[in-house]
Amino acid sequence: MPVKTVFKTSIEHISILDENGKFDEKLGKGLIPDKDLVKLYEHMVTCRHFDEVAFKLQRSGRMGTYPENRGQEATSLGAAYALRKTDWLVPCYRENAGLYWHGLPMEFVLLHWMGDERGNQIPDDVKMTPLAIPIGTQMLHATGLAWAAKYRGEDTIACTFFGDGASSEGDFHEAANFAANLDIPVIFFCQNNGWAISVPTKTQCSAPTLAQRGIAFGMDCIQIDGNDIFAVVKVVREAAERARKHKRPTFIEALTYRLGDHTTADDSRRYRDEAEVEVWIQRDPMIRLRKYMTDRKLWDDQKQKVAEENAKREVSATVKRAEEIADPEIKGFFDAMYAELPEELKRQRDTMRTSSIGQDPNQIESPLHAH
Amino acid sequence: MAGIKQPKNKSHFILPDLGEGVHEAELIKWRVASGETVEEHQTLAEMETDKALVEVPSPWPGVVKDLGGHNEGDIVNVGDILVNYEIGSAGSDAPVSAKTAATAGAEREDAGTVVGKVDTTLTVPASFTRRGGEDNGAPLTSKALATPAVRRIARDAGIDINLVPGTGRGGRVTASDMQNFISTRSGMTTTPAPPVARPIPAPSASTPSPVTVSSDGTSEVIPFRGIRRKIAEALERSIRTAVHFTVFNDADVTALDRKRKEYSSVLGHKISFLPFIMTAICKGLRAHPSLNANVDDAKQEIHIKGVINLGIAVDTDHGLMVPVLPDADQLSLAQMGDGVIEVAESCRNRTIPRERLIGGTFTISNVGSYGGTYSTPIINYPEVAILGIGRAKERVLTKDGMFYAGLVLPLSLSCDHRVVDGAEGARFLNTVVSLLENPEELVQGI
Repeated sequence: MPVKTVFKTSIEHISILDENGKFDEKLGKGLIPDKDLVKLYEHMVTCRHFDEVAFKLQRSGRMGTYPENRGQEATSLGAAYALRKTDWLVPCYRENAGLYWHGLPMEFVLLHWMGDERGNQIPDDVKMTPLAIPIGTQMLHATGLAWAAKYRGEDTIACTFFGDGASSEGDFHEAANFAANLDIPVIFFCQNNGWAISVPTKTQCSAPTLAQRGIAFGMDCIQIDGNDIFAVVKVVREAAERARKHKRPTFIEALTYRLGDHTTADDSRRYRDEAEVEVWIQRDPMIRLRKYMTDRKLWDDQKQKVAEENAKREVSATVKRAEEIADPEIKGFFDAMYAELPEELKRQRDTMRTSSIGQDPNQIESPLHAH
Repeated sequence: MAGIKQPKNKSHFILPDLGEGVHEAELIKWRVASGETVEEHQTLAEMETDKALVEVPSPWPGVVKDLGGHNEGDIVNVGDILVNYEIGSAGSDAPVSAKTAATAGAEREDAGTVVGKVDTTLTVPASFTRRGGEDNGAPLTSKALATPAVRRIARDAGIDINLVPGTGRGGRVTASDMQNFISTRSGMTTTPAPPVARPIPAPSASTPSPVTVSSDGTSEVIPFRGIRRKIAEALERSIRTAVHFTVFNDADVTALDRKRKEYSSVLGHKISFLPFIMTAICKGLRAHPSLNANVDDAKQEIHIKGVINLGIAVDTDHGLMVPVLPDADQLSLAQMGDGVIEVAESCRNRTIPRERLIGGTFTISNVGSYGGTYSTPIINYPEVAILGIGRAKERVLTKDGMFYAGLVLPLSLSCDHRVVDGAEGARFLNTVVSLLENPEELVQGI
């Protein structure tokens, strides 16, 4: 027979706790101990409040641009919970919940958005890279970090977060190609929130799933309900196991939704249908978790009230720490990137001039009258 | 934050940049009223920027004194006061209390947070020192916003500008704030004085008036004659006859400046840009001969010149003179440099022979040596073009999206449109610019 099928595949979708609070016992039993589940939910309450306050800090001129995390808490938090403290989190900028769980002091994120470089100087014992604003660059860093860990014989892995838009970037394909072909222990965690700023996923990817992008590289791929923390924990655990034991990467597509604007400089009402937002408000990861915990008598209104009060107190203390920090020194810009500062940067630090100003004019052709 | 500094006493809230690079916003709807008590983060107003409809929250709790005179539908600029608060109203006078890192950490634990922080100890790099001393009753100070000129006033007066209350845009300390502060401090008044206009000094009896002024305000009458008359006639004739247009261009002479310095060290004395520019002009005129011409209006003829006699406008005590360097294209750089100095000197001491003042085919006016940048030079009729050279200045230039500092020479070319079309004038100027920007090509063969 001259025609034969040489490859055939399918993409699985996993959901354990659905938007109505219905729990799949078979898949979810024993996945997260009750004690931890309560802690995770309380953490989400704090992060949600943090998000609301951060948004208002920008609106009242106390902070620069801020991307709301609201609605996407379960993804990064579930992943951070499923990973070890020694594993690398390589975030984009909508993963506050996971980063705080991993050990990042909360004010660092505020400092970052206040334009304070010290917000990017991650404490040595917190294994994460700074927030990555340029879309997609961090995926390469994750592959590199995980490759280094493998080379050193450590059982550390890396998990990088990126959006649906970033999965269309060349960086993704380079990072994924290296990871798959060199057996690098990295997890590609795609937060598909449906919108690359104002571009809907279907406009930038005509395949039915983003998950299948991993197939081309020969890596395991799976799609999950990203607003279901059980599904996140389950697949990240499996991916971590695969990475640690077999040094194989995994591509996870988590379907989620940002309930807010892309950033404080965006107005999503200009491109998104209100009805779509309404649907996703019902799918909020916190609503279903609270319902589930309440049904299981793990949670009640009183506990909710206490959690909200604690959240307010903690966030308000966080804001205070961020706002009261002494002004940064300009020379501090040069401190964090290099262990040993290159000569050119030393010159910049000492002269406070950028690399291009004062450059040898012979190295630059005249920009005037260029044809 | 975000370029806006709110007042420490929380007396008013200045509209911040609500997005990225937003300069103004339309007030859509007030959500508070005068006299209303507001919580921190409570929405004050709905405003629409060019990017989004946003809710603007109160940055602190307090009592709204007034709505800053803004009505719904008004455009409010970023940096303007949006609302005023009652000073000392609930919570608004509580200064941000500074804690040491240790106290802040303790408070954090006291907060009894139970949510899932595995590691509750705050990891703070050594560089994270807290702002101290704000809760010891000392006045709250922070870095003032002010222009360098105002900072200079403060420095000269020996005043810490951070102590001066700013009333300017975004809380900037203005020159009149400084004046008020100085007069207050010197005990002239106990309240800040309103800005005082600088008084015009009254004529002092002890200062003799050096000039006598006639009833129409004239102090001296100069007969229109001599060189001044000649200059006037020549210029008047030129402007009446030639149809002037002027085209401007810049040359990046950063590289040429290095070449110039090389030549200077070889020659053992300083050499200016002028000989290089003259060389570029000679080459440019060879490529665009229609600019190297005279017009004979009587005969209705254009005389394209085969020789290049460069006129150099020279400022003398007697007025403008234009000596000519004949066959300038045959001269070396050094000869050009020496030639210019020689003819300029002989103009100034009026020893220049008359034949050196005629026969020019193109003129250079070096206004840059007196500090000018661009000019609209008048053609030295019957010539058809003149190049005004401005002063080369260091400028921030860009190339491929990068900034760099470069030396820029401004050039202004006037032509007689009857002879030279705009495109040809611009092409000639481009040739000159291109040569100046490529010194290796410029000095080739000379």
